[in-house]
Amino acid sequence: MTHRLGEPGASAPGGPCRRQKGDLRGLTPPARLAVYLVAALLPWALRADDPPPAVKRLTTDGSFKQHLAWSPDGSRLLFTRIHQGRMALWTMAADGSDLKLLLEPPANSVQFDGSWSPDGKRIVFVFDQFEGTDGKLRIESIAADGSDRKEVIPHKAFEESPRLSPDGKRLVWVSTRDGNQELYSADPAGKGIKRLTSEAAPDNAPAWSPDGKRLAFSSGRHGNFEIHAMNADGTDVRRLTNHPALDYWPTWSPDGKWLVFTSNRDGNYELYRMRPDGSDLTNLTRQPANDNFATFSPDGKRLAFVSNRDGGSDVYVLTLE
Amino acid sequence: MLLVGQQRCRTGPTRREILQVGAATALGLWLGAPAVASSSAPAKRVLLLWLWGGPAQLDTWDPKPDAPLDIRGPFSAIPTKVTGVRVGELFPKVAARLDRVAILRSLRTSSNDHGVAGTAGLTGSAAGGVGLNGKPLPGVARPALGSVVARLQNARAKFPPFMVVGGKLHQGKKAIIGEGGGTLGGLYDPFRLVYDPAEGKTKIPALELDKGLTPERLDDRQRLLAAMDDLRRTVDRGPLGEYRQQGFDLLTNPSAWKMFDLASESPGLRDRYGRTRFGQSCLLARRLLEHGVPFVQVNWSDHVEAEEDAGDGGWDHHYRNFQLMQDRHACWLDQTYAALLDDLHDRGLLASTLVIAVGEFGRTPKINDKAGRDHWEHCYSALLAGGGVQGGRVVGSSDKQAAHPVDTPVTPMDLVATVQHAIGATSEAVQTLGVATTGRAITELFA
Repeated sequence: MTHRLGEPGASAPGGPCRRQKGDLRGLTPPARLAVYLVAALLPWALRADDPPPAVKRLTTDGSFKQHLAWSPDGSRLLFTRIHQGRMALWTMAADGSDLKLLLEPPANSVQFDGSWSPDGKRIVFVFDQFEGTDGKLRIESIAADGSDRKEVIPHKAFEESPRLSPDGKRLVWVSTRDGNQELYSADPAGKGIKRLTSEAAPDNAPAWSPDGKRLAFSSGRHGNFEIHAMNADGTDVRRLTNHPALDYWPTWSPDGKWLVFTSNRDGNYELYRMRPDGSDLTNLTRQPANDNFATFSPDGKRLAFVSNRDGGSDVYVLTLE
Repeated sequence: MLLVGQQRCRTGPTRREILQVGAATALGLWLGAPAVASSSAPAKRVLLLWLWGGPAQLDTWDPKPDAPLDIRGPFSAIPTKVTGVRVGELFPKVAARLDRVAILRSLRTSSNDHGVAGTAGLTGSAAGGVGLNGKPLPGVARPALGSVVARLQNARAKFPPFMVVGGKLHQGKKAIIGEGGGTLGGLYDPFRLVYDPAEGKTKIPALELDKGLTPERLDDRQRLLAAMDDLRRTVDRGPLGEYRQQGFDLLTNPSAWKMFDLASESPGLRDRYGRTRFGQSCLLARRLLEHGVPFVQVNWSDHVEAEEDAGDGGWDHHYRNFQLMQDRHACWLDQTYAALLDDLHDRGLLASTLVIAVGEFGRTPKINDKAGRDHWEHCYSALLAGGGVQGGRVVGSSDKQAAHPVDTPVTPMDLVATVQHAIGATSEAVQTLGVATTGRAITELFA
């Protein structure tokens, strides 16, 4: 049996004259209250004062980056980068070296929001073909060496955020083909399209669970962006966060035990971790700058993300405890 | 093109650069004119943050949390430092400083075409503006707001009185009418600087050598002076001696060179502004204001469209509005605007600097079928701070969907009149100098 501080019956082993830790019977009520408050608030206060965790900076160019994705073999990172006025997909080694442009953007186009196939051999991404002052988004795939570009989902509306399932048999993406952003799935060739969500509010930023059974995503259906999860067929939608701030860009840990996402609930974008049922929420970054677009290393021990903590937009890696 | 920054060891310009500036002064003259603004006016200088493309009023300064989902969008409204006033959740830093900022929520303009609304926003009138159809509207384009202030404030300054940080404004490939001196003439065109984040340098586009001004041809000072005389003949007014002197003043004054060089700022401050083009452009603007330039305009982008849409990052978010807002535009604006306000305040400049952040129009309350918002000229918002503006005040209001003003409707021409009011320009002066407006100064903004 356990007793709370100051609770009657919390007798100390070793005799009545010897006050043990937690025994407040000899204190006045105000003193007891003070001790109780200190005990209650100390962990919170210590946590608030915790320094931000150490991170390793991988890039220093500062040019805008987003949509970070760690390759399945852990060797490379894929991301969107705006360099010299052009938005395109880039990869680099996981230590920050060997920065490479994946695809020289064809005329009047940009590419963004790529993700890896489970075997790491291909990348699916958004190809935006300019037409006049407008763009036509479609989903394409390309070999990881930048060759063999293929169209997967033709432009019907604004097609984006393609993500292949862990077994490579289904593609989930976001489309406005039914009037607002909804999640859809298809086979890897773009056939057998199935609508997964149907809400007046936007649903976006899908992320497959490692076992391929669940999809986490961001949805505005409750008035602002919250993290949700559902079965891969669109059933059993569950709301995982409930906060008036923005919750966005979920990503699963490789063991499926955690979800990391971006939230501005502390006044700036931070990376938060929670269980897949929404419990055990922790701020991982605790830093006054913006941290966003987290992706796990395949071994689950590190988290790469984009931050402007040094002024520019750069990639950092946090080693998880 | 002249570059400033990175190489800081030398003490002055090279002869080649002197020659280049000789060419530039013909493109952006800043001849002196009598100062007519009141010395007791609250605003001594003006900074216009031109949010080209048109930010959505609902996602920024006029959120409607009780509107239907397809109107209010997926972002929350957050409380600010001013009790009862909320702004979009993507602007926490602005919210924390709203006691220094006034929100104007009842702007409306005459066109939903960037070209026409851009002209109206920059000059106060759509006259002479050119829309997508390529046909100019009747009338002659008025001078840009910066040119008007330059005309009213110019006290034989060492530096050009109207400077723009950012490239020329475009819709598609067409340059916007209204960035220049208009009826005041080329003398009041802006002197333009561009900050290039990729190179970390300030560039002066006008300082490219004219074909007739090669160093080989102009191999001594006498020839330089003669060349400048030639250049001077390309304009038809202003005393030659003064023109020549001011050109050399800029060249020989170390403070001019230092003014353009952001490397002399601390890395920490540069980080606080954000290492984006807009962030560093605003820092450069603060330096210009600090050195006595009475009007600086910072262009968010050259083009209205975002990078994904054949542009360079403007606010014209017909699609992917919410991703663009949460990933880039809102974060950048929030960070930079907050840093700018703090910096101006810390240097004692905010009270005497009128800072206006506004685009050419708003965006549709109803979210379109591309997860974006389209052009909306009927209602939009602006932020104003400093220069006598009463922080924490909300002027004007819109209806339940931020679709139309319900009180205090104001126009870009009213903003022009407001700026003239803030700098203390008398009605007599603006009449005399040919910059009178039909607008009403929005005095509700001021203490």
